[in-house]
Amino acid sequence: MRKLLALLSTVVLLTTQLYAQNRTVTGNVTDEKGAPLVGVTISASSSDKKTITDNSGNFSLSVTDRDKALKISYVGYNAETVNLSGKTSITLKMTAEDKALSEVVVVGYGTQKKRDVTASVSTVKGAVLADKPVQSFEQALGGRAAGVQITIPNGVLNNPPVIRIRGTNSISLSSYPLIVIDGVPSFTGDASSTNAAGNALASINPSDIESIDIAKDAAASAIYGSRAANGVVFVTTKKGKPGRSRVNYDGNVSWATAQRLPVLLNATEYTNIKNESAANAGTGAINVFALTNGPDGNPINTNWYDYAYRTGLSHNHNINVSGANESTSYYFSFGYTKQQGIIQRNDFERKTLLANVDNKINKMISVGGKISYANQKNLAALSSGSLPGEAFNTGGLARLAQVNSPNVSPYNNDGTYNINPATGLLGLMNNKTTQVGFYNQVAALKENQSNSETNQLQGNVYLQFKPVPWATLRSLYGVDYSFVDNDLFASASSGEGFPIGNATSAYNKNKRWVWTNTAQFDYTLADKHTFGLLAGTEQQKSNNSGFGLLRTTISDPFFTNIQGGFGTVALSNTTNNIGESYLTSIFGRLTYNYDRKYSISGNIRRDGASQLGANNKYGTFWGVSAGWEIAKENFWTAAKLDNVFSSFKLRGSYGRLGNISGLSNFGSLSTYGAGLYATGSTLGFGNAGNPDLKWETSTKTDVGITFGILKEKITGEIAYYNNNVDGLILNVTQPPSAGLPNAIATNVGSMYNKGLEVTLNAAIVATKNFSWNSSFNIAFNKNEVTALAPSLPSLVATTSGLESVSITLPGYPIGTLYVTRTGGIDAATGRRIFVNAAGKNVYFQNVAPAGQFRFSYADGTVAPTVSSADAAPYLNTNPKYQGGFENTFKYKNFELSALFTYQMGFYVYYGSRAGLHDQRFWNNEADILNHWQKAGDNAAFPKVIFGDNISNGSSFPLDINVFKGDFIKLRSLTFGYSVPKPMLDKIKVNSVRLYVSGNNLAIFTKYPGPDPETSSNGNGTTNQGIDRNQAPNARIITIGLNVGF
Amino acid sequence: MKKKILYITMLSSVMMMAVSCSKETLSPVPTTSISDANAFATTDRILGQVKNLYAGMRSGSFYGGRYIIYNDIRADEFINELTNVVTGYDVWNGTMNNSSTNSVVSLWAQAYFTINLCNVFLDGMAASGNTVVGSTLAANYNAEAKMVRAICYYSLLQLYARPYSDGAGSKPGLPLRLQGNTGSGNYDLARSTVAQVYQQVLDDLNFAETNLPLTYGSAAQLSNVTRGHKNTAIAFKTRVYLSMQKYTEATTEANKIVSATPPFTAATGVPFALQSDITKVFASPYITTESVLSMPFNGTTETPGGQNQLGYYYGQTGLNGGNGEYSLNTNGIIANAGWTATDKRRSLIYTATNGKKFVSKYPSVSPFTDYAPVMRYSEVLLNLAEAKVRTSNTVDAQAVALLNAVRNRSDASTIFTVASFATAADLIAAILTERRIEFLGEGLRAPDLARLALPIPAKGSIAAIPFSAQNYIWPISATELQLNKLMTDN
Repeated sequence: MRKLLALLSTVVLLTTQLYAQNRTVTGNVTDEKGAPLVGVTISASSSDKKTITDNSGNFSLSVTDRDKALKISYVGYNAETVNLSGKTSITLKMTAEDKALSEVVVVGYGTQKKRDVTASVSTVKGAVLADKPVQSFEQALGGRAAGVQITIPNGVLNNPPVIRIRGTNSISLSSYPLIVIDGVPSFTGDASSTNAAGNALASINPSDIESIDIAKDAAASAIYGSRAANGVVFVTTKKGKPGRSRVNYDGNVSWATAQRLPVLLNATEYTNIKNESAANAGTGAINVFALTNGPDGNPINTNWYDYAYRTGLSHNHNINVSGANESTSYYFSFGYTKQQGIIQRNDFERKTLLANVDNKINKMISVGGKISYANQKNLAALSSGSLPGEAFNTGGLARLAQVNSPNVSPYNNDGTYNINPATGLLGLMNNKTTQVGFYNQVAALKENQSNSETNQLQGNVYLQFKPVPWATLRSLYGVDYSFVDNDLFASASSGEGFPIGNATSAYNKNKRWVWTNTAQFDYTLADKHTFGLLAGTEQQKSNNSGFGLLRTTISDPFFTNIQGGFGTVALSNTTNNIGESYLTSIFGRLTYNYDRKYSISGNIRRDGASQLGANNKYGTFWGVSAGWEIAKENFWTAAKLDNVFSSFKLRGSYGRLGNISGLSNFGSLSTYGAGLYATGSTLGFGNAGNPDLKWETSTKTDVGITFGILKEKITGEIAYYNNNVDGLILNVTQPPSAGLPNAIATNVGSMYNKGLEVTLNAAIVATKNFSWNSSFNIAFNKNEVTALAPSLPSLVATTSGLESVSITLPGYPIGTLYVTRTGGIDAATGRRIFVNAAGKNVYFQNVAPAGQFRFSYADGTVAPTVSSADAAPYLNTNPKYQGGFENTFKYKNFELSALFTYQMGFYVYYGSRAGLHDQRFWNNEADILNHWQKAGDNAAFPKVIFGDNISNGSSFPLDINVFKGDFIKLRSLTFGYSVPKPMLDKIKVNSVRLYVSGNNLAIFTKYPGPDPETSSNGNGTTNQGIDRNQAPNARIITIGLNVGF
Repeated sequence: MKKKILYITMLSSVMMMAVSCSKETLSPVPTTSISDANAFATTDRILGQVKNLYAGMRSGSFYGGRYIIYNDIRADEFINELTNVVTGYDVWNGTMNNSSTNSVVSLWAQAYFTINLCNVFLDGMAASGNTVVGSTLAANYNAEAKMVRAICYYSLLQLYARPYSDGAGSKPGLPLRLQGNTGSGNYDLARSTVAQVYQQVLDDLNFAETNLPLTYGSAAQLSNVTRGHKNTAIAFKTRVYLSMQKYTEATTEANKIVSATPPFTAATGVPFALQSDITKVFASPYITTESVLSMPFNGTTETPGGQNQLGYYYGQTGLNGGNGEYSLNTNGIIANAGWTATDKRRSLIYTATNGKKFVSKYPSVSPFTDYAPVMRYSEVLLNLAEAKVRTSNTVDAQAVALLNAVRNRSDASTIFTVASFATAADLIAAILTERRIEFLGEGLRAPDLARLALPIPAKGSIAAIPFSAQNYIWPISATELQLNKLMTDN
């Protein structure tokens, strides 16, 4: 093939020579510092001859007499025109383009020059996400963009982080932004239905990401219409860059440890305090706690953390090959990562393949496409107690490690599991009581599995037609297919499978295709009037289906999968699903810019969505914006303000967006469901729909300034926004006598988010050998619910269906903590004092001596039982402000960067602390030693009475377990060294960088739990800020290597 | 240039057209449930809906368990063992309030849910279903729906409204809903009077009597027990008229299905008759001609649900692994001297190791799938007996014979004669005592007290509740009061 091409070109060259007198020009192109530039395009001014520079920056081009000049262009550098005037040799130093001028942002179905953007968009470069010890890119976004709050819920690998762009914008639907990967909206959320989290976005290898653009206001996101209200995150994967082929290898190894685990009682302390509490309860005769000697003859003292956590070792490898010439660009990559979490047996393994190819067939037609394949394995042995819904799992590992008694061992002295054969729970050893623990997790850690494996294929192809330079027609077809295999097994000896064993298998398919057609017209008139017009259509179809089986009664301990020998088979209903949704849209954008001074833009989209009610299938959404670059005005320069402000742009936007994210496929329909009566089948009215159901509406206002000071040495952005959300979908209960089968989803509620964002970037020092760049952002947000339904004065949300600790009601921020108040401990009697709904102090003792009451007033008279019915809205869980602060220092070949992230002005319900001070058989945090023992004691905890689960907050949530969550974290600290070029030239390597970095190295907080950056309820909107029985976050040390060839 | 612009226009319009062919995809049809538009499209679907009406009634919070339990435990035959409000402690001691979730709120909701199922069904039949199944089946099915609706309203009256005997039905009854509700709307509706609701119950039962089939056939015994037929509607009318103290009408209705002389049976339709051994009625397969209507349960696919099952409340660890929620009041009917030790019905009482006695009419083990009895033929016999005595105010010979029929099949040794009773009142007392013995644990005790305006006697540590007391009946569901602005509390 290559020979043929060579032959052809020779023929062409020979032919042209017949017509013109040709001569050869040679030359060399370097950057400002004299380093050769590879792949620079050199084209003759009149004839269409062109070439590119080689590895040393040299070129040779045959030109004709008509060619008076050479045009020299290179991405990222200012294009040059060099007059030939007889020269045969040219040496050129190209100057880098001013970055601020050339930067582009993705705006949905296209890009815009950053300087022309009048909407609120934050950009994060892929480079800062690469090499981070994460499973999915959005875990590393924290602190990088103003107004984008990322919360890593806990230390479970691949658990989707909580993302909030400018606050929580929905109650019943999702507040998760729309994620668009290379033009195709992606699946999000946890795709796994096992105890191992499986974030759908982990199918993207973070090191394949070129940039992330986050559209925050109406103007930036309106082009995504009914899905835009929570913001839009555009992910752009890497493409080949002009020049020779490049090969890069990135690899790293990291170690993860659990941080800030609460200190628990040891075996002796546990034994003593339980005996003390049993005596106080008058049950000392039937609850006798005692130490047991282990195989070494010494008393057993088990640290159950040793049977829950570990130092997780991970390694990560990425290799990519990329390049581009005039007609074709390509990027191929392979990634492999195998990570161990801090939780035992919690592993993540992923293989990714990505191919991005673009080809210009001729001047008018280009084609291209992308194929991305990812195989991810999310592995776990048992519940960590940390995923949404798991908080109160009897076998939640994080909880077991804190509850199980330290005076018994996981193993009997003969090496068998210490399990009570009657109950399947942890065995008692020398204790004489009914229970000293929940499950013995050792059996599950050894024998069980709770795995999911996702195979995900994302791809697209496009055809682009450019008949005239100012018009681009493009048709793109993309798919996102995800297949999830869930595989669970619980052995008969583990608590989860006791006593018969079981296996569950479930298969889930999610399929989506998107077909987008756009026409983009760009025209500049008289060098001053720049018009852009986009028109497009899009269809998106999503299908999901899945089913599962449960088998129980294992035939033989040898079997460990669903295909093995079991006695029974049943449907596993948790994963039975089938559904589809469809979205059809037309959209458009008009931009106009006058002389780079005044810009306006308008976006509009009309969406039809299948999930919506029959009467409201279609909605129109729009956003408009305007910008004014004042620094270009004469009066500005006249006032010499340009000496300070090199740029100063005022901008504003307004628009109306929708939210349908998380709406059920068929919820708007009235349907009948099947059942049984007297063994015959039945059909019954099962769902009352709402034909008027429509999207939630966000009306967004945004005003801001962007500025550059001292020749853009300092750049900044300040934005104020206000988002009024109306028509929030709530399930509105009708009078029960109406007899409807369900509360009907209705557009009734409203709330707002408003706030201020400030971003500052500064190149503080920039010398040849030393540079210091600093970047700071802060975002203030205020959320308040303004209306629910008349029949719904408040909405109490639970954690894992058990603990009603969150309330949403008008006049308060969403997800306000809802607890019963306390009034300290009575120093005279050691009783917990509650404040009941009537505001009166109620003294509580779990076991009342004769003549006294469990609940009594100060005067000793009986008081009504205090419960969750006495709870009142308490404190706010939404951070008042949050952001990041990053500093990067470079000295010669050394580089040091530190990113701090912070969230301030919010409270967390540390529910785990209730369990840590529970006076049943549960082990306690060591601070329980400071409990009341005699009259006058000013103790932190009340008199211990065996069986008391009320005074500590287990029975119903109390204010004593609510804490300020404010924190500053040293999110990442990286020290890097780039091997100097001369050394590399010897070994024919382009670049080598070595680095060591730390993640979560330090946290500054007064929060008593492991980490105030937490969420027991995942992305739940109305039950955020809850830390209940979950694993802590990890602290990770990484060493790594980047090599470029 | 012009050519190029033409290309652009053409291509653009092709792209736009791609969107226009997508209308149907925008209204996808679910595949795991059936659209309301097609629910009446086939005969099978309509029959499935008919059965679903009974399934609504069978819910564990209604006739599948709790309705029967509540009417037992709020009276005087039972003692609460576990003080658990989830399993009716507040109902037992008469302290339930508007927000009592498991009793006041959920039973109200389930009964009205079932009523709405009937209303939606009747509307759908009128709109299209009648023509799909043809006039005969249409009449049958509509009659079944009206019968279920009547039972629901009657049952709600027993708990949430003053008895008919208090002011002849003039007190506030229930919101009378006769239209199907399928979406959001203004559902404010005031209470009709007790008499108005009873009238609706009777209208529905009369319609049912006229239009129900005589029988589902001798081969379809299961349907004869678990669905309504002509005699079911008549039998239930005897209960309704008795509740209204309309004894003449009760007699008329009962005579339609009780022969003049023993052995008492229904001459037409499903041949109701007492079984020779009462324990057979409460044993698998639960399908006898004595069961006027029962709520069926099966295996693991049709169960009453947790903490709803009769066997779970009344059974005990040593009997069936039940929870022993309610033992029998030692001062209740089990102390009756006339109830002989050899009476077969004594065998339906279980004595636990601690000496406490429990009803063992529902002996199956978890998931406790004994059929729940809505009505038995022996009640029709005793209804007739009582009505005859009350209308004639004499010691009626047939009434004595009816009483004997019930007594003698379980206790052959006790034979009543006309001479056994000095006055009509004595005979009525004997009939009422017989009811307490015969229907112990079947939910008839509280309605029997209420229809006769009798106080709820004291039990254990709980004082008697006089007929006039506010807590003689239940309060109205708090949710109803909150959401239905025209609703009033009791």
